[in-house]
Amino acid sequence: MLLRSISRRLLIGLIQLLGLTIAVFFLIRLLPADPVSRLVGMNASEQAYAQAQAQLGLDKPVLEQLALYLGLMPGTQPGLLQGSLGISWVTNSPVTSEIAAYLPVTLELITLAFLLAFVVAVPVGMLSALNPGGRADKGVFVYSLFAGSQPEFWWGLLFVYVFFFQLGVAPAPLGRLSPMTSPPEWVTGFILIDTLIAGQPAKFVEALHHLMMPVFTLGFVLSGPIIKMVRQNMVRALQSDFVLYANCVGLPRKRVARYALRAAMAPSMTLIGILYGFMLSGAVLVESVFSLGGIGQYAIRSVLAFDYPAIQGVVLVITAISLLVYLALDLIHAAIDPRIAH
Amino acid sequence: MSLPVTDPIPEGDPLTLAPRSRDGLLIFGATIVAIVTFLAVFGPHIGPYNPTLTTPRVAVPPPKFTEIPSTLIGWINGTLPHAPHWMGTDASGYDVFSRVIAAPRTDLTIALAANALSLTIGVFLGLIAGYFRNWGTEVLMRVSDVMQSFPVFISAMVLVALAGRSTTNIIIALAFVYVPIYVRLTRAEVLSQTSRGFVEAARALGQPEIKIALRHVLPNSMTPALIQSSVTIGFAILLTAGLSFVGAGVRPPTPEWGLMISTGAGAIILGEWWPSVFPGIAISLTVFGFAVLGNALERRYEAAQ
Amino acid sequence: MNTPVNTPLSAPLIEVRDLQVTYRTDKVATRPVDGVSFAINPREVVGLIGDAGSGKSTTALALLGLARPPGRITGGQIRFDGRDLLTLPDTDLRDIRGRDIGIIVQNPRASLNPMLRVGRQIGFAYQAHNPATEAEARKQAVEMLRMVGINDPERRAEAFAHELSGGMAQRALIAMALSSRPKLLIADEPTSGLDVTIQAQFLDQMWQTVQETGSAILLITQELGVIANYCDRVLVLHDGRIVEDAPVRQFFDAPAHPYSQEVLGLRRSADAAAPVREGTAAPLVTLDALTKHFPLRGSDKVVQAVDKVTLTIGKGEAVGLVGESGSGKTTVGRCLLQLVPPTSGRIAFAGSDITALPPTEMRALREKMQIVFQDPFDSLNPRWTLAQILAEPLKIHAPASAAAHRTRAAEALRLVDLDPALLDRRPRGLGASTLQRVNIARALILNPEFVVLDEPTSVLAPRARTSLIGLLARLQAELGISFLFISHDLTTVRYLCQRVAVMYLGQIVEQGTVEQVFNNPRHPYSQALLSAHLFPDPTWRRVDHPVREALQGEIPSPIDVPKGCYLASRCPHAVDACRAVPQVLEPLADGRNLRCARVVKGEV
Repeated sequence: MLLRSISRRLLIGLIQLLGLTIAVFFLIRLLPADPVSRLVGMNASEQAYAQAQAQLGLDKPVLEQLALYLGLMPGTQPGLLQGSLGISWVTNSPVTSEIAAYLPVTLELITLAFLLAFVVAVPVGMLSALNPGGRADKGVFVYSLFAGSQPEFWWGLLFVYVFFFQLGVAPAPLGRLSPMTSPPEWVTGFILIDTLIAGQPAKFVEALHHLMMPVFTLGFVLSGPIIKMVRQNMVRALQSDFVLYANCVGLPRKRVARYALRAAMAPSMTLIGILYGFMLSGAVLVESVFSLGGIGQYAIRSVLAFDYPAIQGVVLVITAISLLVYLALDLIHAAIDPRIAH
Repeated sequence: MSLPVTDPIPEGDPLTLAPRSRDGLLIFGATIVAIVTFLAVFGPHIGPYNPTLTTPRVAVPPPKFTEIPSTLIGWINGTLPHAPHWMGTDASGYDVFSRVIAAPRTDLTIALAANALSLTIGVFLGLIAGYFRNWGTEVLMRVSDVMQSFPVFISAMVLVALAGRSTTNIIIALAFVYVPIYVRLTRAEVLSQTSRGFVEAARALGQPEIKIALRHVLPNSMTPALIQSSVTIGFAILLTAGLSFVGAGVRPPTPEWGLMISTGAGAIILGEWWPSVFPGIAISLTVFGFAVLGNALERRYEAAQ
Repeated sequence: MNTPVNTPLSAPLIEVRDLQVTYRTDKVATRPVDGVSFAINPREVVGLIGDAGSGKSTTALALLGLARPPGRITGGQIRFDGRDLLTLPDTDLRDIRGRDIGIIVQNPRASLNPMLRVGRQIGFAYQAHNPATEAEARKQAVEMLRMVGINDPERRAEAFAHELSGGMAQRALIAMALSSRPKLLIADEPTSGLDVTIQAQFLDQMWQTVQETGSAILLITQELGVIANYCDRVLVLHDGRIVEDAPVRQFFDAPAHPYSQEVLGLRRSADAAAPVREGTAAPLVTLDALTKHFPLRGSDKVVQAVDKVTLTIGKGEAVGLVGESGSGKTTVGRCLLQLVPPTSGRIAFAGSDITALPPTEMRALREKMQIVFQDPFDSLNPRWTLAQILAEPLKIHAPASAAAHRTRAAEALRLVDLDPALLDRRPRGLGASTLQRVNIARALILNPEFVVLDEPTSVLAPRARTSLIGLLARLQAELGISFLFISHDLTTVRYLCQRVAVMYLGQIVEQGTVEQVFNNPRHPYSQALLSAHLFPDPTWRRVDHPVREALQGEIPSPIDVPKGCYLASRCPHAVDACRAVPQVLEPLADGRNLRCARVVKGEV
């Protein structure tokens, strides 16, 4: 039953990804951009232009380009079906390995930001829900509305100014480690994990130090919607008929509280999934501010250079991860709430 | 842990806030929106300097708090050599204040136009998809699904960068990412309204389907989309600013808050905070104002239900 | 009036004095319970009746020291076991709830925790008041489920709330409420939303269980039939106060308060017998083997909603269509008006076949045939004024100036006893009874020949129901319109209709005059339906007379209908032949039609 619904979801997800791939493929070719002249320069000779065009495969019919990209033409270069996202036009290295290098940075950043936001939001949201309409609740409400509508890149800059320039307690916003430090051996790509694997606690602390401000910035923005959601679900749960009835049959307070908590957590999963997916591309601004070199910055670089394979790869990978995260959270939701399993 | 069933009665409606603070917030939000709208119309003309021309004074800090009264008196008496730079000037010599109040023309125009475009298209498609359910509208929803699974920020960036960094292209790009939201929202509401008794009653009276869709279903299905507008406008401003920040938005020297933050960003680690901080405050308050307004409207709608 | 009439010798079990509950919302404070006083004696069954919004449910919760937020108990005393519940500390109060006072409420499925198995929840309730291990509590839960008449309780204990039917969930609640054998059971409209036969099963079972546990009952209801058949004493709640407190027979014979007299009004006129018309009218609407199947998503099975229904409605005649929910009676009405296309069969109106009429011709015909829906709030566009709502049919079928339409709209309001001053109001803020009259006015404004009334009174409070039925009777007599009156309320059908058809699982099982079917039902299902119907008559109480025609179990699913007789699984007279052979509708000598071979052959 469960396995069937998971495989069904995965299948739908794959179809969706295929649709997305084709849509993106045509969309970027429909737009009036000229990647060839971007690559060879405005003043290149006609011959050089044609040569570059042929090299990129842009002289072929569009459908043939698509078939090549998807890997439907045996005997040529590997395509999507063979697990390849193509070769970057700018760096000439495989997009797959480039993304693999950039992606962990972003995942590490937003996962930590989510953890931070959660640690703050869950107790605050619940306290707020216990006395709805009270003074604390109003304050929390205004805070969550404010935090949820902020330009996070600007707050990042502000934090840099205050904590780095004025107070000097934060490192310069120039990456995951200070420029002098050599990075640990690449194992997982998650720097906190890699430094530990390499047995370099000093570097671990340094990485943590560098991650502090970006995580704090994103966590601040994320805390808004999460608090709002926790509060609202908790208020709903506390006012639900079954919590009232649990009081009616004289269940102890602790038991009733557990009923309410579980009922409040279940519907929260969906929004968390959506937020996580949103952040995968939304983190790009914070990555830029702190020069972390994540998937978002890779996307910026590719977009500004008209690097089509890289653009397609980024969109595809981010969407695929979002869909997987939705699926995982739906599974958690179903585990909490048996009604969903149906 | 205490539970509300035995707790003292809370003030006001438990799912919302007490009326007084809610109205206070509504006024706050409406005021901000009114100011920004005013600036969108008159902002480029009322600043002391032309927002798109540089002055010879580069990276001048704003007057300190203690200097404000004397600067003000000097300005009124006309004893200053030039109009004061209330928010300083940036590294190129632009007057930050004039640009901050001129920027709503760009930001709000983009946000309002993108919202109006996506709202119109989205509500129309949502009505069709929800009311006439057949294979055609099924395809429409699948397309909308695919569109909605695009990563928002990167999609907008791709569209603008590849189509050309013009205001029109930004509007179209933002509308593109917002249309699926409105389709979904409207369709859900249309589905619930279509099963209501008054729709069946109109059918029983002999009302043609198209009139039922337009007169009964549409007016009763638009409120959620209209409320969403306030949120969308706010986020469109954030998105516009974000695009400029990464170099995929409007071109300099267009006065635009995100672009201003971006040009000031490099100098902030050197202590030149004013070119970025003031436009940031403007965005922060504006988007917050729209969020507050949207929330207040949503509460009213829910209370009316 | 506030002290019990039959003061008992023993001390009362619970005594409520001057109870007040206040709701403070945005601007105003309302007090739905405003000085309620009454007492209940041990083992007594007390009925509490009142309109929707009269404070019945609020009173029930307040007896446990609870109020739905943002409400609060703001005054009074509740003496129970010599203590005032309202001054007890929280932990003591929690001990009393569920142990000494149990409660069941009207939305059983929402009141069960959707995330826990039913057996575990009952176990928790038991453990809260009795020292028991997890395993013992589980055993007790299964035992309680068995006691409240649930088949296969071991399996049901493992179910979640959403897997139970409404009746089943209500039984689970009562199992939880009675698990510690409370001295008082509060039953707050326990059968609202349940079908008649299920309602009777449930109330009988509750009655029996309480006889075993020795609890007293406070039975809150809007149904006079429930009061008459199960209660010893009646409390009438009106505007937040108890306005009448009388033994049940006295209440029905000589209601003292004007409100009670009004509520009982219909029963009195119903006793005066339904209007009888002699002779057969010319047929206006004819249904011939009407069938409707709804396809089931993601499956090639179908829901068999209506199965070969044949029915004739004469000019000026009112025909009742009765049955429980899921019997297909509503679908018959919708098919008849072509609001849903029938799967097969033929519909004729005024002699001509309208089954396959082109849309434009069908729309034109709608002038002559109208419908009034069940939910008055939902049937009116909330954004339109009553003038706009009433002008809509005129704009389609009788174009004229706006002023002329307005005049006709005002006339239509007068026809249904409403003030034309309401024309510029919108539905919001108007009561269910007013809105249902507007619905009727809209249906009648084009002077149709035929109107389908689809449960028009089911959401109304007893008093409003009485007056609306009076209005419908008057309109039928004055205007000579034909009605198809769809209802599960037999009392109303008996009052309004000349002929009646009984439906079960999409089929008509019996059809005849009101006299025939109500006074001498022949089909086992009609018999069960009538015996399950709680007529508001305290002189022949169900609890005093064992009922023979009771049906077992629940209605089969309309997706997998039985091969033979649809009732066979529940029928006390079923033999093997019934299960094997499909039944057909056959005419009897007295003019009625019947779908039961055994009855037709005289075996039963």
